[in-house]
Amino acid sequence: MSLALTLSVSFWSDQFVNGLTTGSLYALIALGYTMVYGVLKMINFAHGEVFMLGSFAGYGALVAMGGNDLSGPVIALAILGAIIVAMAASVSASVVIERLAYRPLRNAPRLAPLISAIGVSIFLQYLVLEQTSARAKFYPDIFPRGSVAAGPFEITYIQLFLIASSVAMMAVLYAIIQRTRLGRAIRAVAENPTNASLMGVDVNRTIVFVFILGAAMAGVAGVLYGLFFQTIRGSMGFIPGIKAFTAAVLGGIGSIPGAMAGGYALGLAETVGRELLNELPGINLGNQWRDVIAFTLLVAILIFRPTGIFAQRSTTRA
Amino acid sequence: MPDTPAPAWARTALRIRWPLFVALVCLLPFALSDVWVQMLVFVGLFIVLGLGLNVVVGFAGLLDLGYVAFFAAGAYTMGLLTSPGSPIDSGLNFWLILPLGVLIASGVGLLLGLPVLPLRGDYLAIVTLGFGEIIRLFLINRDDLTRGSQGLSAIPRPELFGYRIDSFTAWFYFVIAAAVLVGFCTARLRDSRIGRAWEAIREDEDVAAAMGVNTTKYKLLAFATGAAIGGLGGVIYASFIGFISPAAFSLQVSIDVLAIVIIGGMGSTPGVILGSLILIGIPRILQFRETGDFLARLEWLRDGLNGLIGAVDAAAPGSIGRLPPAETWGAQLADDTRFIIFGALLVMVMVLRPSGLWPSTRRRLEFAHEESAPPAPVTAA
Repeated sequence: MSLALTLSVSFWSDQFVNGLTTGSLYALIALGYTMVYGVLKMINFAHGEVFMLGSFAGYGALVAMGGNDLSGPVIALAILGAIIVAMAASVSASVVIERLAYRPLRNAPRLAPLISAIGVSIFLQYLVLEQTSARAKFYPDIFPRGSVAAGPFEITYIQLFLIASSVAMMAVLYAIIQRTRLGRAIRAVAENPTNASLMGVDVNRTIVFVFILGAAMAGVAGVLYGLFFQTIRGSMGFIPGIKAFTAAVLGGIGSIPGAMAGGYALGLAETVGRELLNELPGINLGNQWRDVIAFTLLVAILIFRPTGIFAQRSTTRA
Repeated sequence: MPDTPAPAWARTALRIRWPLFVALVCLLPFALSDVWVQMLVFVGLFIVLGLGLNVVVGFAGLLDLGYVAFFAAGAYTMGLLTSPGSPIDSGLNFWLILPLGVLIASGVGLLLGLPVLPLRGDYLAIVTLGFGEIIRLFLINRDDLTRGSQGLSAIPRPELFGYRIDSFTAWFYFVIAAAVLVGFCTARLRDSRIGRAWEAIREDEDVAAAMGVNTTKYKLLAFATGAAIGGLGGVIYASFIGFISPAAFSLQVSIDVLAIVIIGGMGSTPGVILGSLILIGIPRILQFRETGDFLARLEWLRDGLNGLIGAVDAAAPGSIGRLPPAETWGAQLADDTRFIIFGALLVMVMVLRPSGLWPSTRRRLEFAHEESAPPAPVTAA
């Protein structure tokens, strides 16, 4: 294939930045999937809804603080407040879910917690749909417009904010996992719960913390999603959820750096990758095919390389 | 366990319980109005689908979240070949397309089954879910073939011995016949060598392979069987509704059918029937005018509750709305709250009664086994 691309440099750099933006969101959500899978070997199907709840809580907080009337430096405070409220909402939802729907099934056959998780996901999605009469809500349009240029790249402020705050959150999480006592406990439980409990780790408490950390990331992602895409609705959790799961698998499920890398890889595959495919003769995939790309990628990875493309050590197949 | 032998009449009843049940069901259209019969057609259709998924999930233990793909394969075979709006309208007879749709669906089942063979448990669930979504997105986006979201309409209805299957009652008998056929076949499969191989795979795939079960072959067979039945359901659905569009083949269908199997009791035929009645039947019944008329008698309850709400409201004015008229309760429950209840039900069944509402005998013994309590007396299952 000739590398003579038909489109301009700015088009490709735009696609790249867009990929990084959605990739950041996928990465943040993917962390929750991968950590829970790491300790429980279970797909937390309701994680997409935890993200959705965070987004709605952040919306509620922003509106309560003045919504579209906010201006000046107060906006920064309001967004910070919204993020904190969203984290709190996601975390509390996640803790309740773990306690009611997952913990009683810790020793049940493997299908049981998965089905229970699907139940929670349906429950939350339709609960919010009913409360909002299935109508979309619109995040206040308060984020300053404008963009910065760096070489061929032009990044809007909101994109910059989204990417930067995701990276910051992931750095914090990574530090918690690698440097704190709690992080060591989480890694120990992921390695072997029985041995960890023999070494004095409170396994139940550690698992709750895993849910808390994952939900906090999802809550932040919820607010960032709202600020960036503006439109939120009760059913918004499904597609980002499944894509974040794809990202987690892409990076090797159970691996935290893998989830981050997988998120960006998927974000870029959907934007830059799709446009590259379109450069091939006879292919013209519109934007509506991006979900197909993600699902196909998911199926392909699970089939051909279930340990993920970045996996270092081989783990047992699911 | 030393059981006292059941009396002769009980054994006879046990032997003829299915024919008896089907005969009783066949009398239903004489007692019910059209909307009820229509509701039962849907229940019957989902019994067919549930029995099909039961083979995959209940017998072989392969969690399939993309069952709608096979349902869609059957329905679109029917739609594409007979709808006047389709580019490949062939005008073929229903009875020719029926086996074709079943064949194509089982082909799709093999196509899905082959690559996912090495996957287990929840990975399998996610891949099948992705597969189901790919099929749906494909149906939407390849609109040159499928007319996209506009769908295919005017799908003709079948004729049998010169008699057009047109009325709800005729469809009812048709669907019952399909359900009986499928129920019979799956029960025979379950009790055969194949069924035992599936069960061995479900319990422990590695051990099954070590004992000489060809796991590849039997897993593929489970996928193909389940898919074929899903395809049958799809053909019937397309012909019954007369119109298909991608919106009818969302993940929701997969989850509905899975929930029927799970809530009813994995691997259990009566469980599938019960599950379908509860999950497909009740939401429709709630919307009937008769239900509304019946609920209208509860107006006093609404007044009472609204009085209570008013008392609470007095303390914090404007915080709570009043209840709507009692006769609309059923419809509201069915519309808005259906999925909320449905989700909660899935969780509750898993937590409180993981073997389902009407588990198969063997499953029940399996689950009872964990506590040291003696096994429950064996009843019809």
